[in-house]
Amino acid sequence: MSQTATTDLGRELVPANAQSRKAFQDQAFQILSSRFEGILDPADRWGLTVILPAPKLREAVRFLRDDSEFQMDLLLDVTAIDYLEYPGHEEARYAVVYNLRSQRNAARRLRLKVRVEEESPSVPSIHDLFKIANWQERETWDQYGIVFAGHPDLRRLLNHIEFQGHPLRKDYPARKRQWLSTNDPLVDPMVARLKSNGFTVLEAPTANAPSVEETDLLGKVSREQRNNVEKQS
Amino acid sequence: MKVLTPQGEKIDLLTVNIGPSHPATHGALRAFVALDGETIAGTVTEIGYLHRGFEKMVEQGTWQQVLPYTDRLNYCSAILNNIGFCHTIERMFEVEIPERAKVLRVLLSELSRIIDHVVCVAAAAADLGALTNYFYLFNPREKVYGIWEKLSGARLTNTFTRIGGLYRDTYDGFESEVASVLVEVEKGLDDAFRLLQHNRIFIERTRGCCPISAEDAVSWGWTGPCLRATGVDRDLRKDEPYLDYETYDFQTVVGSTGDTFDRVMVRMYEIKESISICRQALARLRPGPINTTDPRLILPGHGKAYHDMEALINHFKVVFEGVCVPAGEFYGSIEAANGELGFFVVSDGSGKPWKIKVRPPCFTQFAAYADLVEGSMVADAIACLSSINIIAGELDR
Repeated sequence: MSQTATTDLGRELVPANAQSRKAFQDQAFQILSSRFEGILDPADRWGLTVILPAPKLREAVRFLRDDSEFQMDLLLDVTAIDYLEYPGHEEARYAVVYNLRSQRNAARRLRLKVRVEEESPSVPSIHDLFKIANWQERETWDQYGIVFAGHPDLRRLLNHIEFQGHPLRKDYPARKRQWLSTNDPLVDPMVARLKSNGFTVLEAPTANAPSVEETDLLGKVSREQRNNVEKQS
Repeated sequence: MKVLTPQGEKIDLLTVNIGPSHPATHGALRAFVALDGETIAGTVTEIGYLHRGFEKMVEQGTWQQVLPYTDRLNYCSAILNNIGFCHTIERMFEVEIPERAKVLRVLLSELSRIIDHVVCVAAAAADLGALTNYFYLFNPREKVYGIWEKLSGARLTNTFTRIGGLYRDTYDGFESEVASVLVEVEKGLDDAFRLLQHNRIFIERTRGCCPISAEDAVSWGWTGPCLRATGVDRDLRKDEPYLDYETYDFQTVVGSTGDTFDRVMVRMYEIKESISICRQALARLRPGPINTTDPRLILPGHGKAYHDMEALINHFKVVFEGVCVPAGEFYGSIEAANGELGFFVVSDGSGKPWKIKVRPPCFTQFAAYADLVEGSMVADAIACLSSINIIAGELDR
């Protein structure tokens, strides 16, 4: 790590106040609207949220992160919103929200929003701009089924591998139950991981399938359980 | 698993599951590792074993009914989560809570931070085989739980705050009990310092163990004590003060190398600062109301509800419809024990949340875990895991 960056981050910040927040928001909106076709999101009445067209997202995030005026170097969160039947909502069904903050100036916080159509929910991935985006995008895919184009490893994060559907969508019933039986062997991600660490994998174990005994037992139990689960939901 | 190393040597890697159910994983975390001897060549982590669908379930009830769910995020400091959530909603309403409620919230925040850090430090030392600290630190922690029990009736899942104030006022003798607990924490902490700070075994086990640079930590989205251990002086209590934190005299604690030793030490010194804040808050505590009087948030009270028609209607609507949070999208955060605990809230103006997304501080720390431990030994991975203090409740939600 470079010496200048360390001293910069190690310095105490000037605490944020209403004026400094307002000044930052005006400046950020001005540049996001003129350079990245951003429009102001009226839903955020307390801070600054800018709606961007999906093709401009990566460029805008990179600019906000690297520009010396902004240095929004902390990606706090990536999530989505499902507006299905939201009162008065006429735009696309989904929106993906990126929550950014600067470690160099306490007044700098903003959110970026990308509207996503229901038919082919997809936005460009920013996993290479922030390391944490990898997991945050996996979680958003898991919960909302929004595809992050270019993501290297778009697997479920919180839910089980056998899980069907995307639970935070408004049309997923909260009380629905699913029977999930086997564990995730994680062999393929491990092979990919070793390759990225410089290893050449010559022989990987096949995913450890359950033994015949286990399969028999699983078959019996799961049929019974499946019936119960279906009755309950 | 047969592989060629980057140097071109043909070796056989042993694959082992660390967790999900293992005492060292402090919950249910799974790290699937490929080992070359004792050295970790590759790690893949899997989370979600404690996923209970927080974000789906909170959409089913009213805004007030979210509170008990927040207890179950970071269950080592439940009151901090309560405060984080209530603070966010109050900022959407743009209401101020009374002075006494603010001071009490600061006091309870810092006591919660103390017991949360105590769990991390004591468990980290115990995982390295230094069990004595555990008793020195957990005895005063138990006393704090005694206070929680008297305050809220619950030890772990307190649900002590309300949107617009607190569940109830303190009991007789609260101040003196807190003061004596602080003395005990201080003594336990001093004992632990003497056991750890210059202990050669502890230092050699933790110094240089799984370090992370400031730049990487920021790119991984780290906040809180783990980020401060890398030398980044950031603390929401200082940078974006809430609950009048700017009027309290305390220091942020900053490390230098971002290794396991720094992460543990930052937490230990932060306990000292928290003790000092608690004492300042105790000195400021004056009698007064603990709830805002805003009728949108607060029940009118039995006296009025039984005798006044409008108050009865108000009571009915707040309970059955829920508090009607202004429509819009808002992100509010506080400095929780592990870092920035944020709530991204979408409201359609009704009594039920449209969406609440938690930004758990642990999530970012555990996402970096695979990168942190590769190249070190299994025993170091265990030491590292306890120093980043992963609480599966908020990690998996």
